[in-house]
Amino acid sequence: MKKAFVLGLTLVLAMAGAGLCLAAEPIKIGLMAPVTGSWASEGEDMKNIVNLLAEEVNAQGGLLGQKVAVVLEDDAGDPRTASLAAQRLATQGVKAVIGTYGSSVTEASQSIYDESSILQVANGSTAIRLTEKGLKYFFRTCPRDDEQGRVAAQTIRQMGFKKVAILHDNTSYAKGLADEGNALLKKDGVKIVFFDALTPGERDFTAILTKMKAAKPDAVFFTGYFPELGLILRQKKEMNWPVPFIGGDATNNPDLVKIAGKVAAEGYYFLSPPVPQDLPFEKTKAFLKAYTAKHGAAPGSIWAVLAGDGFLTVVEAIKATQSTDPEKLAAFLHSGQQKISGLTGEISFNAKGDRVGEVYRVYRVDADGNFVLQDK
Amino acid sequence: MEEFFQQLTNGLAVGCIYALIALGYTMVYGVLKLINFAHGDLFTLGAYLGLTLLTSLGLSGRLGPLLGLLLLAVLVMGFVALTGALLERAAYRPLRQSPRLSAVVSALGASIFLQNTIMLIYGARIHVYPQDILPKVALEIGGVSIPLVRILVFVVSLLLMGALFLFIQRTRLGTAIRAAAIDQAAARLMGINVDQVILIVFLIGPGLGGVAGLLVGLYYGQVNFTMGWVYGLKAFTAAILGGIGNIPGAMVGGLILGVIEALGAAYISVAWKDAIAFLVLIVILIVRPTGILGERVADKV
Repeated sequence: MKKAFVLGLTLVLAMAGAGLCLAAEPIKIGLMAPVTGSWASEGEDMKNIVNLLAEEVNAQGGLLGQKVAVVLEDDAGDPRTASLAAQRLATQGVKAVIGTYGSSVTEASQSIYDESSILQVANGSTAIRLTEKGLKYFFRTCPRDDEQGRVAAQTIRQMGFKKVAILHDNTSYAKGLADEGNALLKKDGVKIVFFDALTPGERDFTAILTKMKAAKPDAVFFTGYFPELGLILRQKKEMNWPVPFIGGDATNNPDLVKIAGKVAAEGYYFLSPPVPQDLPFEKTKAFLKAYTAKHGAAPGSIWAVLAGDGFLTVVEAIKATQSTDPEKLAAFLHSGQQKISGLTGEISFNAKGDRVGEVYRVYRVDADGNFVLQDK
Repeated sequence: MEEFFQQLTNGLAVGCIYALIALGYTMVYGVLKLINFAHGDLFTLGAYLGLTLLTSLGLSGRLGPLLGLLLLAVLVMGFVALTGALLERAAYRPLRQSPRLSAVVSALGASIFLQNTIMLIYGARIHVYPQDILPKVALEIGGVSIPLVRILVFVVSLLLMGALFLFIQRTRLGTAIRAAAIDQAAARLMGINVDQVILIVFLIGPGLGGVAGLLVGLYYGQVNFTMGWVYGLKAFTAAILGGIGNIPGAMVGGLILGVIEALGAAYISVAWKDAIAFLVLIVILIVRPTGILGERVADKV
């Protein structure tokens, strides 16, 4: 009898032990990031942010009683490497994947994750088509390219400009943004008095400026990149033409002020997702402080912070559904009422998997050449 | 009408720079029948050297803006001229007797070499000239505003082009250069040291290109290591437009190209301004295959 009891107890303990062993098996979340290649600085920040967030989750007891393990694969910022990385992650039993940065790189991995029924949350891929394919498991925490056009049109209208000149540089990004802004502004009754493109790499834009000045716009919407804009602002100043310029996020670079000079750059407005230091949330400030303490510097761009938001999205979805079943996670994220508290504010997704809500902010260059976040 | 004159001055300012660079192409072509593809990069070198000398020597602070810039221009001209002569010695002279294609390949190689050297020394990022060298004033003539820097570009280019024209037409050396351009073998028989003539051509052409680089740096304030490509291409076009091998032709070609670009942008389309400029080039070459001022038939390309 006693023997049988001991035997029974041992059996129960063994089973419990086996159960414990199962519980100790971590939930794997993949991270696909460009840790080498030309976007390596972004990839490095993405890796550090997601790892730090995972440490925090584990310190608070993990997920569903299990630890979270981040599995990193390098996409090198290259579509071919990314498809191999995606295949490796898919065979390692990850429940979801965060990443990645470049649109073309993300695109190369999308169908692999979709076929393996793995949730993917991209962080820097803004190309419109990525969420137009109807993929069930694909989400992104960054805005789409057409969102910027919408915010630009709204800002220009709010500033009260009635006659606007639009200047792009014929690259697919800049032309797309210019077309988007053009259509939206026209619909709002704003008159487009000038719509044309400059040639990137040139230095003399006085001919364009003279022509634009003759069209007498209230403001100029510039959708190109910062090297040309720096020269334009400078030559505009030399012409003594005080028209305000509003630009897109490709002009968000400190070199802009160096090229234009502080005097010419002052008063320039541009749209951009906020730089990490400008995120107003207490939670984010605490996180960035911990991050800076650990890595010596704050993350360089918003795109890496959005990878952190991708991780938080997955964690919250697992918590809410008490499951790692991709069907349930995707259904939860598509429901449109999650209101996940992320580093860049509240995160919700629409039926396509695009993030809902405004990410773009308006910045103004001040007299010292600093980019100052404007109140809405 | 005001806008027309404003655009005209816009075009002339750009055209002056094209003309200065075009002189380097056309002089080398005139004597050697070689397109010096490295010329655009010598222009870049001038822009970077100007920046280094300007910031390290502080000339304009010590001697005043005018004298300081003059000395700076002379220094840059000297350095780039020297580089040009070295280039000729290293990349072109050993191939003097080889087929012309070898020299062209050597020129392309020299261009890549120079561009990458500049990138390795200065880095790939954009560099910026100090902004406070010249007072920011503009001349207002009947509603047309002309900044002081632009007047400087005009005056310096016209002075240099005038001096070159006189040098070529009125001096013994200039006569020797013209003779070597017409027929090298005959010139040699007349006792002209053709190697010396070529060396001088490779001092003057790159020197002018270097000054153009300095002017672009001072005028636009921003330099990067690939800038020689766009300017080189435009200046080369200007040289052909005016008649390659012909020195006044390069000047006229540069100015005309600049003005066509500005007026094309103003009255047709900004995005199409290069297409318009090249269309004009094609039309001119159909009507006059030797270019506007070219006299000799371009039998060798």
